[in-house]
Amino acid sequence: MSHDTQPAGSSDEEQGPFTNWVDSAIKNPKKVYRAMFATVAIFFLFTTLFPLYWLTMIAFSDGSRVSEGVGLLPTGFDPSSFIEIFQQVPFHLYMFNSLVFATLTTVFVLLVASLAGYAFGRLQFRGKRPMMLGVLVISFFPPAAFFIPLFQLFNQQISFLGITPPELYSTPGGVVIPLSAVFLPLAIFILTTFYGQIPDGLEDAARIEGTTRLGALFRVIIPLSAPGVATAGILTFIAVYNEFFFSFLMTGAAAQDWAPIVDGIISYRSQFQVRYDLMAAASIVAVLPVATLVVIAQEKIVSGLTSGALKE
Amino acid sequence: MATDQQPSRSRNPIKRGLAWMENLSEEAYAYLLLIPAFLVLAVIAFWPLWRTFKLSLFEDDLFGAAKVGDFVGLQNYIDVLTNQNSLLARPLIDLTGGTPFFRQALLVTIAFAVISVVFETLIGFGQAYIMAKEYRGRRWVRVAIILPWAIPIVIQGMLFYLLFNPSVGFLSGPLQSMGIFGANPLTDSTDAFIITTVADIWKTSAFMALLILAGMQSIDKSLYDVAEVAGASPWQRFRHITLPLILPALLVAMLFRTIDAMRVYGIIEASGAGCGTVPSLSCLVVDTMFGSTQAYASAATVAFITAIVIGIAISVYLLALKFSSRGSYQ
Amino acid sequence: MATIELEHIRKEYGNDIAIEDLNLDIQDGEFVTLVGPSGCGKSTTIETIAGLTKPTSGTVSIGDRDVTKLPPKDRGIAMVFQNIALFPHKDVYDNISFGLQLRKFEKEEIDKRVEKAAETVQLNGMLDRMPSEMSGGQRQRVAIARAIVRQPDAFLMDEPLANLDAELRVHMRTQLQRIHDELDTTIVYVTHDQAQAMTMSDRIAVINDGDLQQFAPPLECYNEPANLFVAGFIGSPAMNFIEGEITDDGFEADAGYIDVEFDPSAVDATVGQQVVLGVRPEHVLPTETATGDVTDSIDTYTDVTEPMGKEIFVYLVTDQSATVDMEDPDAAGQLLMSVGPAADIGEDQPLSVALDKSNLHLFDADSEVAIAHGLAEPAGVDATEDTPASADD
Repeated sequence: MSHDTQPAGSSDEEQGPFTNWVDSAIKNPKKVYRAMFATVAIFFLFTTLFPLYWLTMIAFSDGSRVSEGVGLLPTGFDPSSFIEIFQQVPFHLYMFNSLVFATLTTVFVLLVASLAGYAFGRLQFRGKRPMMLGVLVISFFPPAAFFIPLFQLFNQQISFLGITPPELYSTPGGVVIPLSAVFLPLAIFILTTFYGQIPDGLEDAARIEGTTRLGALFRVIIPLSAPGVATAGILTFIAVYNEFFFSFLMTGAAAQDWAPIVDGIISYRSQFQVRYDLMAAASIVAVLPVATLVVIAQEKIVSGLTSGALKE
Repeated sequence: MATDQQPSRSRNPIKRGLAWMENLSEEAYAYLLLIPAFLVLAVIAFWPLWRTFKLSLFEDDLFGAAKVGDFVGLQNYIDVLTNQNSLLARPLIDLTGGTPFFRQALLVTIAFAVISVVFETLIGFGQAYIMAKEYRGRRWVRVAIILPWAIPIVIQGMLFYLLFNPSVGFLSGPLQSMGIFGANPLTDSTDAFIITTVADIWKTSAFMALLILAGMQSIDKSLYDVAEVAGASPWQRFRHITLPLILPALLVAMLFRTIDAMRVYGIIEASGAGCGTVPSLSCLVVDTMFGSTQAYASAATVAFITAIVIGIAISVYLLALKFSSRGSYQ
Repeated sequence: MATIELEHIRKEYGNDIAIEDLNLDIQDGEFVTLVGPSGCGKSTTIETIAGLTKPTSGTVSIGDRDVTKLPPKDRGIAMVFQNIALFPHKDVYDNISFGLQLRKFEKEEIDKRVEKAAETVQLNGMLDRMPSEMSGGQRQRVAIARAIVRQPDAFLMDEPLANLDAELRVHMRTQLQRIHDELDTTIVYVTHDQAQAMTMSDRIAVINDGDLQQFAPPLECYNEPANLFVAGFIGSPAMNFIEGEITDDGFEADAGYIDVEFDPSAVDATVGQQVVLGVRPEHVLPTETATGDVTDSIDTYTDVTEPMGKEIFVYLVTDQSATVDMEDPDAAGQLLMSVGPAADIGEDQPLSVALDKSNLHLFDADSEVAIAHGLAEPAGVDATEDTPASADD
């Protein structure tokens, strides 16, 4: 993976016209791959970024003129929507709520899924396959299938095994608990795959050196599976941050009731008018924390590259 | 002489607990580690599903306080599958005239899942390759590729709604003049189906890409050196090293994407196409449950049928996964 | 330092029995090698000592302390693994000091010990490298440093040299011996390579099918193998085995081509007993140069010769038209001989050979237990019978 890594042109002296390039390409097929690579990269960047660019243009448009149509440039120019979103509703509080949900759920899911992924990926025991299947089957069901009993439970309308939990509706618990269950299967499967690939010798070595079995998991297995753990973490965090169904229905609509960003964004849609420019601006602001997270976490994914000789 | 020993008995309960865990058999230790996960799943997943399942065995009573009538066994399932359930939410426009509605939803769901998963896998592979290479500015390319996954579904829906909105967006005009779309694509079932599929591919390819990337980076780099010395072309390296070694991760990614795609609901509503225009199975559940009828038993029935349909699709993957794990390091 | 004692160790995996009933008593400061073919249970044994595997029954004691129920970390041992098992995410310093850090040693103490360990294995100046930046031999030395830095009661080494190339293996072998001399710590070493077992150990424990076959110093295992398995396993190339029967006047091969004269009663054998005669290739001698107490000549033909440098292997067959069956070295009618490099022996030639009687081994065919080592007539005993065969000489 690391062989043809210099940016195109820097390794060769030939920077001449097209024919020169073709000549050298024939002699050096790596150049062709590099050109193909650049083309594909630009294509992907364009397709992923263009809709977001356009969203930004809507945000910068004059709110009253959006319905006239927005092209490559904003229609009218009114950057004040980035301020107005906070004036109309406490959008930062909605974001805070979503960040709390996402953080709590991710920490909880990674912890529980690490234990389960270790068991599934590295230990032999009876009933392993049926149990893994049991985890998977949960994700077959539309979220609505869980909703009514949980809604009743969190509103203290029914009890589970004779226990009535505290009222969780419109608290972080009311969102974090069901979402943990919803995103647990994916995290367990990802971590099972990655933990299962760490050679046994490393775990044995750690235990001889002085860790407990559990200690070996946290000191050796998890650090060595950093790409997998970071991936599971990013996927869970982002999915919860943007989750639509439970976070919307298990909370009230106001920020004080732990409503997530979805409620915040929808609130710009009044009975009479839909403020697309505000919704666009709010979305861009809402995406920023996630983008920051991706920047930080992807470094963690890269660190998997330096760990090198993982396999025997 | 033993410089590194601790007393084996300790008053500290945490240490005693850890010491106790050390002496468990492998099997007992495995069960112990699985307790937290299954405890959560039991309360939050298995138990609600059990209640929902019981609900599906009763008759709907739309006017009673409990909303549920007499025990009817599997009658609800028979009615739905034979299209005799009158309480299911109906589409605004019946696309195919005679086709029973449940089967129509099934068709939409399967078509959506197959098309989106195929494209997301291919694009995800390409994106993972772009993210894996080393070059200046890779960090920002990675962020750009992952960014769509970070867009809330509400916004994703709004974005594509606006893009194809005849007055705001600029895509609907040209596509219309090329004869691909009708006058108002979001109210036409075929056009709206294409839009929601494209929107889903746009957002979710990054999910595949991330998992594929993580799989790629667990591959020992020296394998590529060996292959290059042996004269393998990039394609051969992909075919003989990358693909087989990331197959477990890839199958896990495809498995969960398929499950997700077959439960598609959010983007249909958020893009403004609506469940009436693009009726998926999840749409049917939500509309029947929360719509005007609030037919809980019928909704529960469709939810379980959806799960069974997904289960059938997933068993194909499980067989593949079982097959692929035979070549793994274990 | 510590003794290691295994008492009645039994280990089952489901229905498979990995270790039947193992007793092993390792002295303080001893270098003991567990040797045997792959799957014989030697790795399970060392994992049992380490605590990575819990025995189904039996007890493990290290330094008079019953450690059967203790986790690996509390057993006062260090281990070097076949796959080296360095932590790829830690540099050399962190790899070596991992165990000390876990035990919350002072920073200065850790530095001092790591420095000294690195010196012992000649790794100075490499402490900040990552394992991926090192060669196989360097990594193995890091693994050894990681083991010695903790000053454990005993070292366990599971095929530590198996993944190294031949030259490096010989080099590391001497280094390990040097470290053992220096530290004088008990070492339990696992290998399937008997050359390592022979050269390094104070005693070797030969294990097969989960059973201890012999536990003795290397030369004793070589010269006086306790049974057929040990005889065949120790020594390279392997001992020749000839099936036969005890007669009134000694041994007679089933295939008829070899007779050995001795007094059956002197070696505790009964007439008519089915036995296996063992002779090492270097104790098969060309009749011309044979001296001392040897058997009658055997007429053979050379099939293949393999000059190895300091010796030549000669594959002999008693039937001129036959060729050596390499798949079954103990097939009747074939013998492997090892002669000095000066010998001038061509292929496909008739050759008369004799066996050195003082180095013959006799095993019971049923129990495979050794009956006698050396069949030479003790001095002073009169060879009363004058057989026609001996008259030929």
